[in-house]
Amino acid sequence: MRRGLKVSLVALTGTALTLTAAGCGGKKAATSDQKTVKVGLAFDVGGRGDQSYNDSAARGLERVKKELKVTTEEISAKQDEPDADKESRLRLLAGKGYQMVIGIGFAYTAAVLKVAKDYPNTKFLVVDADQCKVSGANVLGACFSEEQGSYLVGAAAALKSKTGTIGFIGGVNVPLIHKFEAGYDAGAKKVKPGIKVLPGKYLTQPPNFDGFKNPALGSEAAQGQLDQGADVIYHAAGGAGLGVIKTVGAAGKWAIGVDSDQYAQPALAAVKNQILTSMVKRVDLSVYDFVKSVGDGTFKAGTKQYNLANDGVGFAVSGGHMDDIKAQLDDLKAQIVAGKIVVPTE
Amino acid sequence: MNAVKKLRLPHYLLIAAGLLVLLSLVRVVDGANDVTSSGTVEAMLRLAVPIFLAGLGGLWAERAGVINIGLEGMMILGTWTGAWAGYQWGPWIGVLAGIAGGALGGLLHAVATVSFGVDHIVSGVAINILGLGLTQFLAGLVFNVGHAKELGGGPRQSPPVDPITKISLPVLSGGGGTPDWLGSLEKHHWFLVSDLAGVLRGLTHQMSLLTLVALLLVPVSYFVLWRTPFGLRVRSCGEDPYAAESLGVRVYRMKYAAVLISGGLAGLAGAFLVTVAAPIYQDGQTAGRGFIGLAAMIFGNWRPGGLAAGSLLFGYTDAMNVRDGGQAVHALLLFVAVLLVAVAAWQAWRRSFLAAGLAAVAAVGLLVWFLDSDVVPGELVSFSPHLTTLLVLALASQRLRMPAADGLRYRRGEAR
Repeated sequence: MRRGLKVSLVALTGTALTLTAAGCGGKKAATSDQKTVKVGLAFDVGGRGDQSYNDSAARGLERVKKELKVTTEEISAKQDEPDADKESRLRLLAGKGYQMVIGIGFAYTAAVLKVAKDYPNTKFLVVDADQCKVSGANVLGACFSEEQGSYLVGAAAALKSKTGTIGFIGGVNVPLIHKFEAGYDAGAKKVKPGIKVLPGKYLTQPPNFDGFKNPALGSEAAQGQLDQGADVIYHAAGGAGLGVIKTVGAAGKWAIGVDSDQYAQPALAAVKNQILTSMVKRVDLSVYDFVKSVGDGTFKAGTKQYNLANDGVGFAVSGGHMDDIKAQLDDLKAQIVAGKIVVPTE
Repeated sequence: MNAVKKLRLPHYLLIAAGLLVLLSLVRVVDGANDVTSSGTVEAMLRLAVPIFLAGLGGLWAERAGVINIGLEGMMILGTWTGAWAGYQWGPWIGVLAGIAGGALGGLLHAVATVSFGVDHIVSGVAINILGLGLTQFLAGLVFNVGHAKELGGGPRQSPPVDPITKISLPVLSGGGGTPDWLGSLEKHHWFLVSDLAGVLRGLTHQMSLLTLVALLLVPVSYFVLWRTPFGLRVRSCGEDPYAAESLGVRVYRMKYAAVLISGGLAGLAGAFLVTVAAPIYQDGQTAGRGFIGLAAMIFGNWRPGGLAAGSLLFGYTDAMNVRDGGQAVHALLLFVAVLLVAVAAWQAWRRSFLAAGLAAVAAVGLLVWFLDSDVVPGELVSFSPHLTTLLVLALASQRLRMPAADGLRYRRGEAR
């Protein structure tokens, strides 16, 4: 009997450990020789398939692979991982001889800066660099003026609302997401001063980043705002936005997507006719620009701002729900680009 | 301590009515209509059901004397198998597959603990690790390729699963295009009347059929465990397996059955997450609900009714947290303050002055906080479900009794 006990224990632990280890591995790159250019990309929480933020980055990587003929490898972040895991993930990529390493999301900022010092010959990109500050001769930080794009979709929400009440749902209560809310609020009040913007709902508080990936939270929060009379709801919650859009769509109200053009995302095909527009954040463009600049030798360290002026942010028109107000929004856009309207970020 | 009087159904109904009156009062005072709105009650149900089902799984296993700390792992297996079958063949097949996936985890637990006599905690922890690792591995293998990827899958999530049909009661809650009487009553925000309407509408409006199934499992579990010979045998294995053996009960078989049912219920909880709560499987989706389910089971004194009450409490605070947040929780400050005053009076009457003093101080503190602010900041709101869990378990742990042979190793034919 004791032997049976031991065997079963060993077998259990053995399988458990093997499978856990197997579950951690990323997608391996195809065979590569020494000369090919290799790009490594580490996703934020949510990972590929979140239909939003990470998928925008994934599109950039696909484009790079197709047009610039480079080898790529991608790794997804784990739920609730410590910063040390992010660091070792980047170190793994840099150590394997990747000439370019990309960290998606502000959570990678500290890790990128630290690892970049040890690998001076590798170029690093961190998307959404924290406070838009980076250092080092081999680090580029991509920063986005999300408040500008949010301003325009806020105006769209106010123009399309019939109840005069609109809502905003943010993933995690961090400064980056406050920019979305501030722009949305300002844009809505600009075109309709009397509009009621419900207080922004943040799904989780840091350090719990579940709010960027858990659709169940998004769904309940959206139901809460619908119950308060909102008929247009904008989310900046990454993968959790799936729940927001599905719930709002099922209720026959307008949802506004974020980061990717969510009208075109496969997992949302069932409710796409209730997606008014999306605040597009061209993470894919920043990934593409970075790889291209390193490739043709024009790489410059520091930060790069993506805004309405260089179409780094904007709004999607898929589905044609915006046709009647597009001219008005383009006018607002021109005023922001010209500096006549300054969009608040807090 | 004086003899503990047994509380019966009328007592519980009286307590519930009293709490509703108090909630209603608080709502009117603070103008926080979300405290008893039908939306909150609906959300409470949706959030409580996975906890309840996991807890019910724990209840079945522990009634048969097997501690099942692997509920979380079995739930994770249920989410994966549920989503895998659900996105291809519809949500109900997904539910069945989820039950099967969880039961598979239960079978493993039964083989280890019943046949081989492995320590229950060790086996449970191994199943938690196994469930997480296996599903992560399989998700990358299955959801990140071909057709599944085109439908929106990825290495950490599945393609979307169609939701399960939701139903509303006709006439009262607007089902099938009929008038929505309770809804119109609720909109007036009258004292007590609207609150009652809100709660009733929440329980009868837009309820998923799977929620209904979960609610029916309360009486079904009670009936099977306490009113059938099979249930009596299962429970006797949890109280005294050697005595049961001497009376001819096949203890191993009973334990196997109970742990399999336990795994199946945990799997059902997982399937609920992918077919009702969120439309997809996602890595890390269960977020410790299996363990909260165990806490709810302990709170409910290893009985289905108490477990349901515990789950609803967690569901309610969670609903406050994910819906409106700040203002509603602010109103609850007053609610808890009034309750604490009652506790203080009760303790003082029993001449337990230290406890009375502590409760009174806490009540005054909450009252000052209530008067001094308009909303509770988001950081604290997200903490409220955990705080409630802690408080309630601390207060309720006085009268609990677990099955006598729970977690003990049993070998057939051995002496005690």
